[in-house]
Amino acid sequence: MTLRIGVVGAGGFGRAIARASARHGHDVVLWSRQPRDLFEPIRASTEIEDLVESELIFLAVPARHAEAAAEQLGQVIDGRHLMVHVSRGLTGPDLKTVTAVLREKTVARRVGALAGPLVAKTLAEGRPSGAVLGTRFPEITEMVRHALGGAELRVYDSRDVVGVELASATVGFLTVVLGYARELGAEPSTLAVLATRGMVEISRIGQTLGADESTFMGLAGLGDLIAAVAGDERPEFRLGQALARGAELTTAVRELGAYVEGIEVARHMIEHARRLGLQTPISSTFVAVVEGRMSSEDAIQALMERRIGKE
Amino acid sequence: MLKRFLSERPLRLPHLKPYVPRPSDPSIFWFNAERDDIVSDVVNRICSAHEHDRARLEMALNDAAFHEIRRLEKQRDEEARDRLGYWRSMIRRIGKMDDTEQKRVLHTIVTDMARDVAGNFDPRVYRFARKAVPRLIAGVMEPRRLTKDLMSESPEVLGRVLQVQGDVERLRRLQPEGSLVFVPTHASNLDSIVLAQALEISGLPPVIYGAGKNLFTNPIISFFMHNLGAYRVDRRIRVGLYKDILKLYSQVMIERGYHSLFFPGGTRSRSGMIEGHLKLGLLGSAVEAFSTNRVRHVNRPVWFVPTTINYALVLEAETLIKDWLTEEGQARYIIEDDEFSRIDRWIAFFRKIVGMRGACIIRFGEPMDPFGNRVDANGQSLTPTGRVIDPGGYVERRGTPVLDTVRDGAYTRELGEVLAKRYEQETVLMSTQVVAHVLFRDLVRSTPGMDLFTRIRLRGEISLDRESLCQDLGETRDRIRALEAEGRTRTSEAVKNDSPNDLLDRALAFWNGYHDSTAAALEGDRVVIHDPSLLLYYQNRLVPFAEEIATPEQLSAACEIQNLGFRR
Repeated sequence: MTLRIGVVGAGGFGRAIARASARHGHDVVLWSRQPRDLFEPIRASTEIEDLVESELIFLAVPARHAEAAAEQLGQVIDGRHLMVHVSRGLTGPDLKTVTAVLREKTVARRVGALAGPLVAKTLAEGRPSGAVLGTRFPEITEMVRHALGGAELRVYDSRDVVGVELASATVGFLTVVLGYARELGAEPSTLAVLATRGMVEISRIGQTLGADESTFMGLAGLGDLIAAVAGDERPEFRLGQALARGAELTTAVRELGAYVEGIEVARHMIEHARRLGLQTPISSTFVAVVEGRMSSEDAIQALMERRIGKE
Repeated sequence: MLKRFLSERPLRLPHLKPYVPRPSDPSIFWFNAERDDIVSDVVNRICSAHEHDRARLEMALNDAAFHEIRRLEKQRDEEARDRLGYWRSMIRRIGKMDDTEQKRVLHTIVTDMARDVAGNFDPRVYRFARKAVPRLIAGVMEPRRLTKDLMSESPEVLGRVLQVQGDVERLRRLQPEGSLVFVPTHASNLDSIVLAQALEISGLPPVIYGAGKNLFTNPIISFFMHNLGAYRVDRRIRVGLYKDILKLYSQVMIERGYHSLFFPGGTRSRSGMIEGHLKLGLLGSAVEAFSTNRVRHVNRPVWFVPTTINYALVLEAETLIKDWLTEEGQARYIIEDDEFSRIDRWIAFFRKIVGMRGACIIRFGEPMDPFGNRVDANGQSLTPTGRVIDPGGYVERRGTPVLDTVRDGAYTRELGEVLAKRYEQETVLMSTQVVAHVLFRDLVRSTPGMDLFTRIRLRGEISLDRESLCQDLGETRDRIRALEAEGRTRTSEAVKNDSPNDLLDRALAFWNGYHDSTAAALEGDRVVIHDPSLLLYYQNRLVPFAEEIATPEQLSAACEIQNLGFRR
């Protein structure tokens, strides 16, 4: 069965999805604002109307551009279209997920979020990997598996869409924390404690937004974090290392050449937790260090002296 | 005995001459002619879903027998004496029955249950009820005007007390073209009566709705319920098949173009909060009705009408909040001994609200399609930018409409979320709710660190200076108005226009003399909080907005209040 697939965004992930889909024999249209040269059989387009005939549309833009892209898509799509995004972020201070943006700006209801330890290069080259798809619609899972899956990519499914999106967005922040700690010479056991307790902290916040705890401990959360620490060249990890070497946040982000929204997401999450009376020791302490309100020595001491409870 | 006879066997008026509906009559007028066909449609669909799977069939029979035996053993009444023997003998035989016997038994059980659920509609009772009920209520409210009201076209007092808001003209236009599904918030057992009256005065057609079987125990109410198209829902029955029948009955009715009403909150809001978590069963029946019609190439639209019922004074407020606070609200689904069953409280309630203009506001929100999209004046589904789309696309797979219960279940969840949001936007904040919020927030501020349960025991211990209270009230009201300007919520005329002093007096007047103990009362120049749990009940309507309508000094208390929302 040949699917008609649309891809929005010509960044690394957009091109990788287009290549993987084309490799599986599907008709692919890749839309971007700027004209692109792409290899056959992928069709490049700058006309949003060219996506109308697509059955499945992948939104592959950073979360901060999701709203604008969704508004454009909203002009042409209708209830027939299935949509999946691969943005690893949230939008705005109210922690709005990208699927929420899609539902708000378009009439698409059959939506999902593809996340987990999936990187563009692996996907493009067709090397074995895995991902998790958060959606309430089994037909989307079936279609994504058919579009990208097969022997190369194991796509697990989860009904916990919010959990998948929140876990995926906050892994970026924890990766910065781990990059920072690693640069300071933290032992593997310290990294393990930071990763695990950090994820627990974030999952508590996620549960208040309707997510399941178990999602944070699966591919979308810890699975993705393991990939980040194991060295899949995430910009967030390098940002953490740069900060540990004393770089200032905006300078470090600029020098990185990639947009990293983990710190911003963490700030919003901390604010949300504060309103609910939840504690966020690791996130709050690290954000204080990044903002220059606390030294790294004081941060370690503050975290180590906290009262210990049950796991 | 007589009571049971009347509630079990519907009392109907004899038909000397069959009523032939006119083309202009609403769809419900055809109900009696279609009743048997509807019941058999429901029975056939349930039976055919089971007949090709012996394990499923056997499970359904066992489940029915198990739950019915359990229920009847607990009930120990006349019904138990009649039916317990049947179920006990059946459960022993299920394993020994062959296929044909099992299917026959299933057919009998499902038919009995479906017949028990299905209602009746008598146009004569409907015409009588639409004239008599408003006058009866008006008579209780203002006995001295009873003679005048009996003669008048519409009792004037009801128009004073009950206000209808929303684009009813559009609903009137849409009603002949498809199925309207009214989905109101649920605060009181009076809701269905009030809503029926609101539909009547707005020129909208009567609707079918599921009424708890407990309402059928009163012979007079039972007579009206039986004859006005209500279908019976016996919440004591836990049988899986029975739930399937209820859902399917609702679905078949919507498929056939009957306008429906159900309360997605499931039961009255115990806390007084705007419903956030909705029961999806009946909502799903409307979504499935739409997709089933599309698969059969029947292009009959289904429109959901988010409706809010807003009372300045709630008849059963004390029992409801007590139930929520004792956390029995989840387990006790049916409260049979609340103010609704006490006629003296009805009279006290009506007498109290009679002098208060706009004590109850029904607001019909903008209709939407089953996928949460707005619709235009002609009922066509719209995108956020106003482009017309075909909602049939949502049930298509590769260009063909298909049935998919999992997909429709997912749509229903999404619809539930949209509806919860719409409830906030369409809720009309009333004077008692706004005043209760300001008082309760001050109570929280003056008792830092205290838990909710200790706070609600502070009866008569906290008092506030009237002048500063009115100042807070004015500021809070301004912030609420700002939310209203953004379309985030609505306010009553009193909240919009009255001075803070008048607003306070109005709320105190509502509370004083109706509830067993007043929520708060004026003593000299101070307002004394007498019943914090009642204040909690009324203020809970503002929980979603608490933070945004607070000043920085009030923010911490407002956060505590807003967090109550997470218990919903």
